[in-house]
Amino acid sequence: MSAVVTPNPPSTQTEVAKEPARAGARSALSHPVARRLLPLAVAVVVLAPLAAVLWGSGSWPHALTVDIKTPLDDAYNWTVRNRDTNPVFLYGLLHLSNWADSSVSSVTDLLENLGWFPVITITVLLSWRIGGLRDRRGLKLAGVTFAAFAVCGLLGMWQSTMETLALMLVAVVVSAVVGALLGLGAGLSDRFERILRPFLDTMQIMPAFAYLLPLVVVFDIGVPSALIATIIYAAPPMARLTALGLRGADPGVMEAAASLGTSPVQRLLTARLPLARKEILLGLNQTIMMSLSMVTIASVIGAGGLGEEVFQALSTVDVGKALAAGIPIVLLAVWFDRLTSVAGDRLGAGAAPAGLRWLHGWRAWTVSAVSAAALSVAGWMMFIADWPDTWNVDIASPVNNAVDWFTSHMASGVPVLGGTRTWADNFTLWILDPLRTGLTDSPWWLLVLLAAVLAFLAGGWSACLTAALAMAGIGVFGVWNHSLDTLSQAIAGVVVTLVLGFAIGIVAARVSWIERALRPVLDTMQTLPQFIYLIPVVAMFNVGRSAAVAAAVLYALPAVVRITTQGLRQVDGATMEAARSMGASTFQQIRQVQLPLARPALMLALNQGVVLVLAMVIVGGLVGSGALGYDVVYGLEKSQLGTGMTAGIAIVLLGLVLDRTTQRTGKRSAAR
Amino acid sequence: MNDMKTPDMNTPDKADVAKTDVAKADVTKASVTKDTVATGTGTGTGTGTGTGAADAAGEAQPVFGVRNLWKVFGSKADTVPGNAEYAGLSQAELRTRTGCTAAVRDVSFDVHKGEVFVVMGLSGSGKSTLVRCLTRLIEPTSGTLEIDGEDVLAMDKNRLRELRRHRAAMVFQHFGLLPHRSVLDNVAYGLEIQGMPKAERRERAAAMVAKVGLEGLEGRRPGQLSGGQQQRVGLARALAADPEVLLFDEPFSALDPLIRRDMQEEVIRLHSEEGRTMVFITHDLSEALRVGDRIALMRDGEIVQLGTPEEIVGAPADDYVRDFVRDVPREQVLTVRTAMKPGACDASEHPDALAPTAVVSDAIESVARSGRAACVVEDGRCLGQVDQSALLRVVAGLDREEVAA
Repeated sequence: MSAVVTPNPPSTQTEVAKEPARAGARSALSHPVARRLLPLAVAVVVLAPLAAVLWGSGSWPHALTVDIKTPLDDAYNWTVRNRDTNPVFLYGLLHLSNWADSSVSSVTDLLENLGWFPVITITVLLSWRIGGLRDRRGLKLAGVTFAAFAVCGLLGMWQSTMETLALMLVAVVVSAVVGALLGLGAGLSDRFERILRPFLDTMQIMPAFAYLLPLVVVFDIGVPSALIATIIYAAPPMARLTALGLRGADPGVMEAAASLGTSPVQRLLTARLPLARKEILLGLNQTIMMSLSMVTIASVIGAGGLGEEVFQALSTVDVGKALAAGIPIVLLAVWFDRLTSVAGDRLGAGAAPAGLRWLHGWRAWTVSAVSAAALSVAGWMMFIADWPDTWNVDIASPVNNAVDWFTSHMASGVPVLGGTRTWADNFTLWILDPLRTGLTDSPWWLLVLLAAVLAFLAGGWSACLTAALAMAGIGVFGVWNHSLDTLSQAIAGVVVTLVLGFAIGIVAARVSWIERALRPVLDTMQTLPQFIYLIPVVAMFNVGRSAAVAAAVLYALPAVVRITTQGLRQVDGATMEAARSMGASTFQQIRQVQLPLARPALMLALNQGVVLVLAMVIVGGLVGSGALGYDVVYGLEKSQLGTGMTAGIAIVLLGLVLDRTTQRTGKRSAAR
Repeated sequence: MNDMKTPDMNTPDKADVAKTDVAKADVTKASVTKDTVATGTGTGTGTGTGTGAADAAGEAQPVFGVRNLWKVFGSKADTVPGNAEYAGLSQAELRTRTGCTAAVRDVSFDVHKGEVFVVMGLSGSGKSTLVRCLTRLIEPTSGTLEIDGEDVLAMDKNRLRELRRHRAAMVFQHFGLLPHRSVLDNVAYGLEIQGMPKAERRERAAAMVAKVGLEGLEGRRPGQLSGGQQQRVGLARALAADPEVLLFDEPFSALDPLIRRDMQEEVIRLHSEEGRTMVFITHDLSEALRVGDRIALMRDGEIVQLGTPEEIVGAPADDYVRDFVRDVPREQVLTVRTAMKPGACDASEHPDALAPTAVVSDAIESVARSGRAACVVEDGRCLGQVDQSALLRVVAGLDREEVAA
C-alpha cells in the first residue's frame, strides 16, 4: 500500500502547517453533531444557570411539583361513590362492564360444562385440521395440543387454565375484530392512518402495567377491567399489521385487477385482502400472544386464572406453586404460537391440495367437527366432567425442595464463584446502588438536559421536545426519585442486555450452527408472557432489584439477539466478499464492515431492548424491585389509586423519554 | 400520421421465414392473407416514406383512435398540454420550468383492426404510460381517445368498467397474477369479475389454459410456475374475456431470452389464428420487428416515427431512429419489393419466383442457389427482378440513400 502514496507538493505542506490551530477550532465546529447541537447549547448556557439559581441543583425542586395524587384520589373516590348512580356509568360503562362479565363467564361456563375430555378432543382435532389432516405438521400440532392440555390438567390447573382460556378467547375475538377494522381503515385511508399511527406508536412503547390503573378507576377491580385492558393492549398489532398488509399489496396485481374491470369492492375482496392474508394472520398471532401476556399480568386487577395462581405464589415466594401455574402458561403460549404459525405457513405455501378430497377444504372441517362431536359425547358419557383429582401430579413440593437445595448450595458461599444470590447482592451493591445514587444526586436540570440532547441527536427537534417535556413531567408530578430508581434499573438492564445480546448476536450471525440451535429457543422465549420470567429469576436470585433486572434482561434478550443476528446477516454479501478478498481478518470484518453496515439494525435492537427492559423492570415491582412498579401494585392493593395512577403516568413518561432518546427517525420512515 | 399506409400482414413471420423453407412461409402467408382480406387491409407498398397511398382499409374505423394525447405528471399538469411556450422544451427543461413531467406528449395514432401495433422506446420514453392511458388505468391529461368511434374519456365509471371487462384486456410485464389462486382460477378471474357462473367460467378458463399450452397445470399456484408459464397464465387470463383488443405491456421483458422467443412465437401464432387486434409495448427492437405490423417509436413521450418495420429500418426518420436501427440485420427486414429493379421480365414462366413480401435474406438464398436473377411475382404478374448486386446493395446499406431520396 505504501508504494501508492505519493509525496505531497511542499507548498501544500507548509500551508497546512501554518494553520493547525485554526483548523482544529473550525473542525470542532464543523463536525455535524456539534453544529446541530449549537442552538441547543446556546439555550442551555442561558437557561441552566437561571434554573440552578432559582430552584437549586439537587433533586427535582419542590417548588416545581404539582400535586396530582390528591385530585386523582378524589376523582377515584367520586367514581366509586357515583358508579351506581351517575348516568354515564349507568347507561354507558355499566353496559360495557356487564357485557364483559357475562361474555367471559358464559365462555367459562361453556368450557367447564363441556368437561375436560370434550375440550381436549375438540382442540386437538381443530388443531389437526388447521395443521392439515394429511400433513405431518397437522399431526405434530395435534400432538402439541394434546400434550399441552394434558399437562395443564395433570398439574391441577385445569380450572385455572379454562378461566384464562375463556378470558383470552373473548379478548382475542374482540381485539382481532377491532384491530382488523382499524387496520382496514388505516390501510385504505391515508388520513385515517395519519390519525391512528401516533396512537399505535405510543401504545407500542407503553409498559403493560400502565394500562391497568385507569381501567380500575372506571370499572373497579375484576374481570371487566382485565378484559378491556387486554383488548386495548392486544388490538394494536392486529391494526398495525392489517394496515401494513393492505398497503403492501403488490401494485402490479392491483393494476392487473383494475385492468380487468373490477369495482373497488371487488378489488378489495378478491385482491387486496387475500394478498394481505399473511400479515393479517401474523397480526392475529401477535394479538393472541399479547393478550395471553396481558391476561396473566391482569391477574393483578382480578383477572383470575393462571396469572392469579402465579401472582399468589410469587407473593409468598412459593416457586413450586408458581411453576405449576407457569408451565401451563408456557404451554398455552407455545400452542397458540404453533397454531397460528402453521396456519400462516400453509397459507404461504399455497400448495395445490392433493390426496383424498375428504381431507381438505370444507369437507375436512366437517370431518373434524363431526368426529370431535362424536368423540366428545362418547367421552362425556364415559368420564366425569371434572378433571379427576387423583390424576393430579404435585410438582410444587419437589420443585420447592430443589429450590431449597439450590438456595443452600448454589445461591451463596460457592468457593470462588460466589453463587447466584451473592452475585445479585453484589450487582445491587456495586452497580444498581451507585447508579441510583448517581442519578438522584445529579442536578435535575442536567438530567432533563441530557434527555433532551440524546433525543435531539436521535430524532431531531420534535423528539427533543417530547423527551424534555416528559422528563420534566416526571419531576412535576412528584415522582422524581422513584422514577430515577426505575431508570437506574432500566439502564443497568439495558447495558447488560446489549452486551450479552450483541455478543450472542455476532456469534450467531457468524456461526450458523449456533444460530440454528438458538432459533427455537429464541422463538419460544419471545412468545412467553412477561410474568413467566419472574419465576426462575426468583428461584435463583430471590426477590429484589437484581432479580427484576435479571428478568428484564431475560425478557429483552431474545429480541435483541434476533435483530442483531438478522441485521448482521443482511449485510450485503458482495461487500463482505470484497472485504475478505482484501484479506480482512474476522475481527476486521466484524468491526469495519458488518457493524457499520448493520447500524440501523443495531439501533433498532437498542430501541427494542430499552422498551422491553423498561416494561419488565416495572413488572418486577411484583418481586420487590420497588420504585414505580411497586407503586402501581401498592396502589392497586391498598386502593391508593392516586399513588398508583401517578406512578402509571410516570411509567408512560419514562417510556417516552427512553424511546425518544434511542429511536432514530430514519427507522420510522424506513418502516413505512 | 394516421394516414400511414396499411400494414403488411406478413411481416410478423418474416424472421421465421428467414429461417424456414419457402414452402412453409407460403403456407403461413396464405393463412394470414385470409385474415387480411376479412379485415379489409391490403399489403403495404413498401415505398418506405410512410406517406404512401392508403387504400380503402385505411378509411375504415380504427379500433383505437388517439389524437393529441397528453399525460403530464405534476401539480400543474393541466397547464402544459397545448401550451406553445413549453412546446419545444426537453423533459429536463420542462421539469425545471414547471415541475411537471410529460410522460406522453401530443401523441396521435390509429390502431387498425386486426393489426399488431407496437409501441417501442427505451425506458422512460412514456410507452407504458401510453398503453395505460388507452383503458384509463392512467387518466390522460388531455387529448381525445376513441375506441370504435366511442369517446373513452367521456365514459362514466360503469361504461369504463365494461370496456375493461369485455373490450380490452391487458398482459403485464410482471404478470399481476393472484398468488393465492390456482392457475385455473387466475384465468377465470376476469370472468368471475364479470359475474359469470362458476361452472361456465371454469370451463371457459380450462379451454384458455389449453390454448396457451398449460394443460395439466390448472391446479398449480403461480408461485410454482416458471416465469414463462406465469406469463402464459397472464395471456390466458386476458384471452378468457374474449376482448376485442389485447394490450401487452412489455410482456416478455422479465423472461430469459429463449423463453422470450417461445412467447413471441406464441403471440404470433395466436395472432395468425384469431387475427385479434394487439397493442404491444416493448423496449426490444428485435421483438418489435418480429411481432409488429406497424411500429411507433417513442422518445421522451413523443412518437418520432411510425411505420412498418421495413420503413423504420429502411428509412429512419431522424438520427435517433437511424442510431436505433443501425445494428438490425437489414436483409431480414427489407423485402424484395424494395430491393428489386422494377420492370417485367417478359417471360411466361417464372422459375424460382419470389413473392414481393419475401425478405431479402430469402432472396439471397434463392439467387445464390440458382446463380441468376429471380423474378418478383405477385398474382402471376412479374413486378421486377432481383439480382445479386441489388441484394448486396441492401446488405451493404447502399439502398438507403435511394429510398430516402
